Amino acid sequence: MTEVGEQAQLRTLSADEVATLRHDMRTPVNHIVGYCELLLEDAEGPDHAARRERLEESLRAVRDALEMINASLSPGGRDVTQRDVDALYDRLREPHARIMESMAALLAPQDHATVDEEFSADVRKIRNATEQLVAAKRSASIEPAATLEREVPATETISSEGRGTILIVDDEPNNRAVLERHLERQGYTVVSAGDGAKALEIVQRASCDVVLLDVRMPGMDGREVLRRIKQDPATRDIPVVMISAADDLSTIAACIEAGADDFLPKPFDQVILRARVGASIEKKRLRNLEVDYLRQVERVAEAATAVERGVYAAGSLAQVAERGDALGRLARVFDSMAVGVKAREQRLQDHVTNLRREMDEAKRSAAATGDTQEPDDGALIPGELFANRYQITRVVGRGGMGMVYKARDRELAEDVAIKTLRSNAMSDDPTVVERFKTEIRLARRISHRNVVRTHDLGEHDGAYYVTMEYVEGITVRELIDMRGHLSVPSTLGIAQQLAASLEVAHGQGVIHRDIKPQNMLLDPDGVLKVMDFGIARLAQHTSTLTQAGMVIGTPAYMAPEQLLAEEVDARSDLYAVGVVLYECLTGTLPFEGASPIALIAKVLHTVPVSPAERDGSVPLPLSGLVMRLLDKEPDGRPGTAGELRELLAELG
Amino acid sequence: MSRVLLVEDNEMNRDMLSRRLRKKGFEVDMALDGAQGVEMARGGSYDIVLMDMSLPVIDGWEATRQLRAAPETQTIPIIALTAHAMSGDRDKAMDAGCSDYDTKPVEIDRLLLKMNTLLGVA
Repeated sequence: MTEVGEQAQLRTLSADEVATLRHDMRTPVNHIVGYCELLLEDAEGPDHAARRERLEESLRAVRDALEMINASLSPGGRDVTQRDVDALYDRLREPHARIMESMAALLAPQDHATVDEEFSADVRKIRNATEQLVAAKRSASIEPAATLEREVPATETISSEGRGTILIVDDEPNNRAVLERHLERQGYTVVSAGDGAKALEIVQRASCDVVLLDVRMPGMDGREVLRRIKQDPATRDIPVVMISAADDLSTIAACIEAGADDFLPKPFDQVILRARVGASIEKKRLRNLEVDYLRQVERVAEAATAVERGVYAAGSLAQVAERGDALGRLARVFDSMAVGVKAREQRLQDHVTNLRREMDEAKRSAAATGDTQEPDDGALIPGELFANRYQITRVVGRGGMGMVYKARDRELAEDVAIKTLRSNAMSDDPTVVERFKTEIRLARRISHRNVVRTHDLGEHDGAYYVTMEYVEGITVRELIDMRGHLSVPSTLGIAQQLAASLEVAHGQGVIHRDIKPQNMLLDPDGVLKVMDFGIARLAQHTSTLTQAGMVIGTPAYMAPEQLLAEEVDARSDLYAVGVVLYECLTGTLPFEGASPIALIAKVLHTVPVSPAERDGSVPLPLSGLVMRLLDKEPDGRPGTAGELRELLAELG
Repeated sequence: MSRVLLVEDNEMNRDMLSRRLRKKGFEVDMALDGAQGVEMARGGSYDIVLMDMSLPVIDGWEATRQLRAAPETQTIPIIALTAHAMSGDRDKAMDAGCSDYDTKPVEIDRLLLKMNTLLGVA
């Protein structure tokens, strides 16, 4: 024996351990005595003489065993060492053998007797109890009483109101019983399984806090059970404590590598058992808190998605908002912001509905007056195949830089809009052309409901063309022309959508440079689609002043710094928004001149009459915002499209 | 016929003792843990309770205290059964309110004597 082994042998058991052992050994004795006496009472008459003799012999044997137990483990007696316990087990072998022999005789088939099932069942119970009396010698203290597995009710979850729920997996009934008893005394809820398959079934069905898992089991062994528990996302957070012989270090190491959280050496030591189970329970508790926290973070993220999709329900974060920590605060703030956003969106929706009504009225009056488009000269003819790919459907617009057609993309079988760019409208400076291409590439990335999607840039017969999403609708230009001017809600509907489109484009590094009502489409639902992002980049900068009218249309929408060919940024687009809104509200431009030069002079030097002054029905805050947008100095305007969108939202 | 409530979590003990008691003419009901024992004792009119002390959910000591605290069960005789058989157990059982005390292994004649004494039929 090793030195360590010798020390273990001389270890004195605590009073608690002795009491437990005493209890655990007397339990099978109780069963043996009880069943023997029970059967004896029934075994009356001459037919049962042999049966009586066997039962009486068994009773004598078990009483001998009880005396041995009482002598070795008497309450208040001398110290008991592990060696004493081992010696007791050795002595118990003799009465054990006597009972087993009697039981074997009682179970042997009798030639003349009919099979007495009830009697045989009781004899087997005695035999089991007798086995349990000595079977647990391997563990320091035994509880051979329970042989049944503690099962989880099929339809119920385990109640974990106490300190936690522990699943014991061991093929050895005595080991299970010892652990069950110890852990229940400490207030744990205990379930057990006698093999790996059953353990997996329980662990998936019920919520266990810790699994105590024997390594060596027939069939599916502990390592395989461990592997499966740790592989399943639903169970991998449950701490698993491996039960293993203390000297089997390589197995323990392998299990820890495979995800085991701890191990419990056999024979069980109550102090170690308590400490390891306690630590694992605490680990699980913390992990539960963590999982719960992550789940609630996920809820907040889901709420964000719901806001984006417009399906956020106020108060749906109520549970998270109850938390006293930062996450709870985040949920509360998020909820109130989301509710605000929803209210704003509702207002925008109202504006758009208003806008649509105006569009319908405009269309009706246009139809009544028989307004038709003029025929075009030098344009592509409907039916013509352009660039060997696009079949022209019809002309939908014309501008300073070229024509816009509706066409059928034969490769993708879908309608597109094609904007051809007249070669004489384009810069021949290679740097400018390169910058234009870069900007088109950036514009292609913009994906927003208020932006006409840019598909491709192509070259055909020496001229560039851009293909875009085709939007059925009318331009804001047409709407203003038909209606004279627009109502305040319709203007706000346009303004908010325009600001949203610019916010996204500016965020992608694209400045429009040519915001004007002609570039703003309204689809039949009143959704604004801004087109031509990036295209104005191609304009010949040097000729802006002299040929402005010809090259990029009227300079009426261009900011002073743009007219002066100075540095252009997002705020230049915001100036153009100011002009568009001015025109929507009043039906006139802020500046008008007999010639481009006269107009430019006014843009550069004159302060316009405010919209409210022109039309008393325009609210002062809205009029004031338009005037800020028209500030000659970029610094005097709102700093970004996002800021503009916020300001507009505040106006209703 | 006297009605006995046997509170015992061990299946073999329940089976064995209930069969023996029924043979002696008792009507026996069984509870599997302390909580169930208390509940059944409150609901039924038992003449005596046999209470194992090592029970799940609530143990026999606590179950006894609860029975003694409730007016409808405070007079039912309770015999504590324990396999510990420690010297202090008897006093502890009496302190908790048990009427008598016996150890496992159960000696049926001794137990019957105690039961009959408490039931006033001896």
